[in-house]
Amino acid sequence: MSARMAAVESRDLIKTYPGVQALRGVSLRIEPGEIFALLGPNGAGKTTWISIVCGLVRPTGGTALVLGHDVVTDSLAARRHIGLVPQELNFDPFFTPREVLRFQMGYYGVPRDDARIDEVLTALDLIGKANTNTRALSGGMKRRLLIAKALVHRPRVAFLDEPTAGVDVALRHDLWSYVRRLRSEGTTIVLTTHYLDEAQALADRVGVIDKGALIGLDTPAALVQRFGRKQVRFKLKAPWSGDAGTLPDALRQLGATLEVGGFTVACPADTTPVAEVLGLASLLSPAVVDVEIIQSSLEDVFLHLTGRSDAAADGAT
Amino acid sequence: MNRIGLETLMVKETRRFLKVAGQTLAQPVVTTSLYFLVFGYALGGRVREIDGVPYSQFIAPGLVLLTVTQNAFLNTSSSMFIAKIQGTIVDLLIAPLGVFDLMVAFLGAAVLRGVLTGGLVWFISALFTTFSIAQPVWLLVYVLLVAIAFAAIGLCVAIWSDKFEQLNVIPTFVLTPLTFLGGVFYSAHMLPSPWDTITRCNPILYMVEGLRYGFLGTATTSPWLGLAITGGIAATATVLAAWMFATGYKLRS
Repeated sequence: MSARMAAVESRDLIKTYPGVQALRGVSLRIEPGEIFALLGPNGAGKTTWISIVCGLVRPTGGTALVLGHDVVTDSLAARRHIGLVPQELNFDPFFTPREVLRFQMGYYGVPRDDARIDEVLTALDLIGKANTNTRALSGGMKRRLLIAKALVHRPRVAFLDEPTAGVDVALRHDLWSYVRRLRSEGTTIVLTTHYLDEAQALADRVGVIDKGALIGLDTPAALVQRFGRKQVRFKLKAPWSGDAGTLPDALRQLGATLEVGGFTVACPADTTPVAEVLGLASLLSPAVVDVEIIQSSLEDVFLHLTGRSDAAADGAT
Repeated sequence: MNRIGLETLMVKETRRFLKVAGQTLAQPVVTTSLYFLVFGYALGGRVREIDGVPYSQFIAPGLVLLTVTQNAFLNTSSSMFIAKIQGTIVDLLIAPLGVFDLMVAFLGAAVLRGVLTGGLVWFISALFTTFSIAQPVWLLVYVLLVAIAFAAIGLCVAIWSDKFEQLNVIPTFVLTPLTFLGGVFYSAHMLPSPWDTITRCNPILYMVEGLRYGFLGTATTSPWLGLAITGGIAATATVLAAWMFATGYKLRS
């Protein structure tokens, strides 16, 4: 295990509001240069976690570090390295995007650099509105301006709290490219998103948080591998004549079921190699006319994890 | 200290009020000029002199004070409250700006606005009276302390307020009555007992008299006592606002 410093680290992070435990001891380590996605249902604690790390919310217990700086006891040093795209749209009605970005750079102690501002405005397709009052920007443009503000001072760790909410599909893909480019330049990206395809496409690792607790943490592929399901579906020329108990023994032992009025035999392939399951097609009569192999997505894993968490919580009470 | 950050925030706060100069600079000048014309000239014809000073000249320091207090207060209170309501306060809270940086930037811009508008009101009143200033150093110290005091009070009120209603409570029910009853338009010793004594419990009276001492060289209260009271209020309000930033009172949950 490398001893190098984590980009972000939280240890037993707890946040309690009156009557609500928003975080229940979240421990998490995010490596430098990583794209890390934090997933969870609404109210799970994602934004609370980000807000503590960014210094907007004070933890009730535990510690959080940004590049080794404690966000409470060494907050100014920690904040110098971060950029945040907040979940809520905000804008300063007095200024233009160019002015807003100049101020933003200045707050971080970065001398005025108009070339950098132009670069960020261009990357986020705002260069044409650089000198327009922010009041006149559309919702999507305001969202992009928030991203520009978070990145213009070249933070080493960027927190993107639902950065693509309300952004059209084309721009979303442009933003993904930009995020990948930032990562290639060494920026660590921590994002929350409701678009699980976004997490699957972008993230090196994913953390699933629910009811203030971290319930899953790994690469998207490993999570899918561990918690996802694989299934081989045989479509028959005509419906199977009996019930599932009359299926060939080899299929029954794998847990195969009948679906679509007996036209489909669905066979789990989580533990048995797919090739081996496919080989069982010859046992079926009427004949197999089509075969479909289904692999769970990150979304399925997410639903599985958060649903299991619900069940566990219900069972505990 | 984050020097570039402090300068940037101060420039931003200054440009914010200069962008709407019609509202922030011209409007108070027009309003106070009307006070001057109505009270100084219409009423001044009947009152003629107070404490040996022509009435129009007597009220000028109070009108300058009125302008400085209102503008210093409004600059910090409106900026902070709008930032809270719009959500842009996040930009400042996550930036590496320390308490010192935030205080100097917010107070600096508000003092600048107070001094600019107060200076404009003085210039207009001087056109009708005289440009001479009896005690320029006293005047400068008083104006700066008054502006700092009200800028810091504005910050405290805006941080404390959750609604526009609350933001207006202090200026409407505390600051404006105290200012108008603080001897802007009359001398405290003109009041019958016990009001002359009660008026002396009003700290604004000492600020008005302090400015009057600076402009005219005469005052009914001790300029040193006024300096102590004004400095005390400025220091208390500044410490309170700094404490709010340091602890995150109503800013960080």
